[in-house]
Amino acid sequence: MKWYKFGKPSGRLIGQVDEFIVHSDSILEVEDSTAVKRVNYHKVPGEFVFAYGPSTGGLMESVGFDLFTPGELINHVDVDPNFKKRTLQVKGKSVQDALLVVERINGFHSVSNSIAFASAVEDALGIEISDEIRHTRILMMELERIRSHLEVVKRVCEPAGFGVPSNQIGYLREEVSRIISRATGHRFFFSSNGVGTVHFNANGIVPALDKIVNEFDHIFRGLLQSKIFLNRLQNNGRAHHPNLLGPAARASGLSVDARMDSGTISYKDIDFNPVLQEEADSFARFMVRSREIFQSAEIIRSLENVGDFKSADISVSGSGEGAARVESPQGDLFYYVNLEDGVVEDLKMVSPSYMNILAFEDSIVGNIFTDFHFNWESFGIWVSEIGVEIR
Amino acid sequence: MSSIWFLEGIRKGRKTEKFPKASPKEPPLWPSRLEGKGEVDCPTNAIDNNAWDSGKCVFCRRCEQSYKPSLDQDIFTVKDTNQLFRKSFYLYKLDSGSCGACNVELGTIFDPQYDANRLNIFTTNTPRHADAIVVMGVMTDGMKEALQKAYEAMPDPKLIIALGTCAISGGVIGKSALPRDQYNVEISGCPPSPYTILKAISRARGD
Amino acid sequence: MLQLLVVLLFGVAAILGALNRKLGYAGMLVSAVIFGLVQFTPASYLSYFSLISSFVWVFVAIYSFSYGEHYGKWLSSMLPLTIMGMALILISTNYLVLITGWEIMSVPSYVIIALNKKEDMPAAVFMLFSEFSTVFLIAGVAYAYSISGTLNIIALNDYLPMLLISLAGLTKMGMTPFMISEWLPIAHGNAPANASAVLSSTMTLMGVFVIMRLVFLSPLVIYIGIFFLIIGGLSIIFAAIYAYISENMKMLAGFSTIENNASILSAIGLYIIAFSPTLRSFILIVIIIFSLAHSLSKTGLFLAIGNTGGEFFGEITGFSNRWNNVGTFLTTISLSGLFPTIGGLGVWMLLESFFMEAYSGGFTGIMAIIVGSVLALGEGMATGALLKVLSFGNLFHRSNRGRRSIGSFTVMALGGFLVFMLSISILVFPSSFISGIPGVLIFNGFMITSKFGSADFGVLSPDYIILLISVFSILAYAIFRKPRHRTVPVWNGGRDIADIYTSYAYSNNIRLMLRKILRTRIGNQNQSITVMDVFWYAMLRTGKAYKSVCKYITLRFMNSSIGWYMIYMIAAFMITLIISVELI
Repeated sequence: MKWYKFGKPSGRLIGQVDEFIVHSDSILEVEDSTAVKRVNYHKVPGEFVFAYGPSTGGLMESVGFDLFTPGELINHVDVDPNFKKRTLQVKGKSVQDALLVVERINGFHSVSNSIAFASAVEDALGIEISDEIRHTRILMMELERIRSHLEVVKRVCEPAGFGVPSNQIGYLREEVSRIISRATGHRFFFSSNGVGTVHFNANGIVPALDKIVNEFDHIFRGLLQSKIFLNRLQNNGRAHHPNLLGPAARASGLSVDARMDSGTISYKDIDFNPVLQEEADSFARFMVRSREIFQSAEIIRSLENVGDFKSADISVSGSGEGAARVESPQGDLFYYVNLEDGVVEDLKMVSPSYMNILAFEDSIVGNIFTDFHFNWESFGIWVSEIGVEIR
Repeated sequence: MSSIWFLEGIRKGRKTEKFPKASPKEPPLWPSRLEGKGEVDCPTNAIDNNAWDSGKCVFCRRCEQSYKPSLDQDIFTVKDTNQLFRKSFYLYKLDSGSCGACNVELGTIFDPQYDANRLNIFTTNTPRHADAIVVMGVMTDGMKEALQKAYEAMPDPKLIIALGTCAISGGVIGKSALPRDQYNVEISGCPPSPYTILKAISRARGD
Repeated sequence: MLQLLVVLLFGVAAILGALNRKLGYAGMLVSAVIFGLVQFTPASYLSYFSLISSFVWVFVAIYSFSYGEHYGKWLSSMLPLTIMGMALILISTNYLVLITGWEIMSVPSYVIIALNKKEDMPAAVFMLFSEFSTVFLIAGVAYAYSISGTLNIIALNDYLPMLLISLAGLTKMGMTPFMISEWLPIAHGNAPANASAVLSSTMTLMGVFVIMRLVFLSPLVIYIGIFFLIIGGLSIIFAAIYAYISENMKMLAGFSTIENNASILSAIGLYIIAFSPTLRSFILIVIIIFSLAHSLSKTGLFLAIGNTGGEFFGEITGFSNRWNNVGTFLTTISLSGLFPTIGGLGVWMLLESFFMEAYSGGFTGIMAIIVGSVLALGEGMATGALLKVLSFGNLFHRSNRGRRSIGSFTVMALGGFLVFMLSISILVFPSSFISGIPGVLIFNGFMITSKFGSADFGVLSPDYIILLISVFSILAYAIFRKPRHRTVPVWNGGRDIADIYTSYAYSNNIRLMLRKILRTRIGNQNQSITVMDVFWYAMLRTGKAYKSVCKYITLRFMNSSIGWYMIYMIAAFMITLIISVELI
């Protein structure tokens, strides 16, 4: 393991999976698999539990909310991401077969997942990747980030009843999907990334992306002029949480970014500084995501050496354990693998949604029902990557 | 501000494609109909005895040597329709255990490029108002009850639409959401492209 | 003399009640019927108040046969006595009789409130305000005597007696210039439900009655009208808000009473500032219709609440019973703002009068617009408050057992009320306000129009709407027959229902929105949201002061138990009654 060691906590807390408590530089093994978790809340007199979800048209995925409320005001929320908890059989599979499953842990952020997994395998087997592959992977991840952020901004517009901007952003997101489809053959990067290899054709990406980013800039400026919209976001869901990850952390002024402090996919030769906001509310998260769209486009423009790239597949064999951490659009994504003769003996994944969902639970306290959707969507949490059990 | 947004909308002009009347403008390579022959090592046994079952295929490209994607997006089966749905067809989406990609793609058919609303296709927030339930993802223990309840809450006539390989056959993830013979419509792909979804749902309402 | 004998019948009922509960209520029933028959003459405007009152008393008497069993004989004795006081007010032609009636009405009410609960603070507060009103009344009477030289109630050439006696009425109605409008809900909320009904619907009606009595006899000064409008507007809005957020159902009904009274008061204020005779005669009808709706509604509301098994929404248990349903029905039929019920008609007419006054322009026009808007806002919120009672008291969380028989009863009661409302609208409305447009099948006699200036505005009469609804329902049934239906379980996001919506949550939006006015505080550990009742806080302190004074006096001069006080009271009544009769 090049980037990780077992032992004392060191660096930021990333999350917990089973008996692993993962920090940014270390993995701590503990007995209690629920050491990092929310506090238990008891209903106070005058409150009742408003059940929202798991199945409702207003939510992207199946997730259950128990809102403790005396009416209108939210005093506490329990988020249950385990309604759609999937049990994925990975252990005992070959790396290639495992990769098919890993891509489908979170389909919308599949390239972050597959790159993190592939990097962990490469770490375990001591495979060095070329700068070209690294740059292609950065390009893929930034492209995914743009699309993911567009989706979140669109979904923040929706509860405000902003039909025009949300549809226009939906249009842009679909254009990004088509860029991805042209570059990889698949709209969600499925099967375009492997251990020590990528399949990607970057030709024509930059002009197409420039057009999208310009259009988004126009919409973004329009949104910032709309007082009604800003009022719905500002002071809504303040999250000053020490263990936030990803855009939610940067929206609270924490300079937290795996692209800066992770060795897995190094951005060292790329000029970039994290986008920071201080307010820590839904508005700040909206701002960070919007501004990162421009930043990611800038990063993609700077990767001039990436072209049509299809490296030969590498046969995976050997044993070892490896760990990797990348910045998915939602925050730090951690993978740990233990290989035994090219077969996955153990696989552990910590998703950024794990810590962010705890922060969301804190942030919603004191808000009212109508604030709920703005706040939830601004976090951009994907339930599919938390409600998952790897076997 | 709303009036300005209205003008912004007008200013952008028409972005909707002619599909399904015209052929798709930009169909993805994967997923699309696979053509070819030969026995290959398929992780989901979608290719068996030289026959390709789109409902089992996860489009992992391992058979790329013998089976080529044709860009044909019509990879769906519609077993039941009802003329009552022609004027308005309300979908209730139910995520029984998906990776999120199917959810996004189902939402995409309402984006300007596809604009499902022009084909009288809408979504609804409660199964009480739904004509069809769109099941996405594999069966999970937690959502079994919700799926059952949602189906019971729907008024007759009603359809069950399986969206994506997970819902149809389980794919590489697990077990299918429902037995395959219970689906009225199967939309293949992992995830299905918006073209496939739009055409399949449009067929399901009797087009 | 006949009238006085009828009034004394209530006194007989009170004596019977002290011996036997059922006898007391039976006496009350008989007296109320006789009183209504003797007093009512269609030509006399003020006799409508007697009709409305006797109607309420009949209802309460019937209801008390079963409900009164929970309470001692003191209730069956004190309730007719209170009513005797009110009857005395209604028949009075002499100020002394009026004062006597006023006191006979107040003191037994005090006893009822004091004996019902172990706490004596509500009773002390009630008594304090009764004494306030008596002081105003006596002052007004004294002034009237000094300018007219007689104690007979006759036309006066000064407005001051009217103002003073109105203040007495306002205090009884639960509103004062000092905006301390809260004693009434607290006092009424602490009485048994049947007594609450009497206090809430008829005692406050007495306030309206004396004001109207004096308004007819005094010169009308515009400032008094504006004064009434301001008090009315303020009371409406506060009472409506507090009603909406109240968790105690009886308190809610009490606040609703204030809200209704304030509406009536603003109608009186409008009557004073309006110079058009057409508008004035229209407003007179408004006052009667509104009083009727209010009395029915409050009687029904307290009947309904008294049969829910508790005072607080959280305590509602048990199955719906007949009285609960009758009460709900009465409340619904007079629910403000809900056409075609009588309450809806009242609110429409009230708002319409304000519109008409607004047409006349000038300062009074602006005043009418402002108060009219406040009124509309308050009425809306009051409707929300009553819907809270109806939905949480009756519709939610109750068993379906016994619904069927109640249903047929309700239908019959509806029939009775239709006849009643029909007669009311024919009797009350001068023919100039009734018209129709036969061309569009609204026959003459089925439309109420406000004839004011060139622009008439009208509304279909409730009878016509009910007729339409029935005809179309029967038609629909004849064509489509019984509707097909299927029963499905409640959809709750795919989950079983684990918790229920509470009445507290129903009104919490107002608590949060008006946190500046209500002094809402959030974040306490045990009770997450608290509302500080500023008026009640001030009230409590005044009540405490009054109590300590009284305590001093009782210890000093009477030094005995409540029994002695009752004996003193009855003796005092007898003496004053004899004196006043001799004066007549």
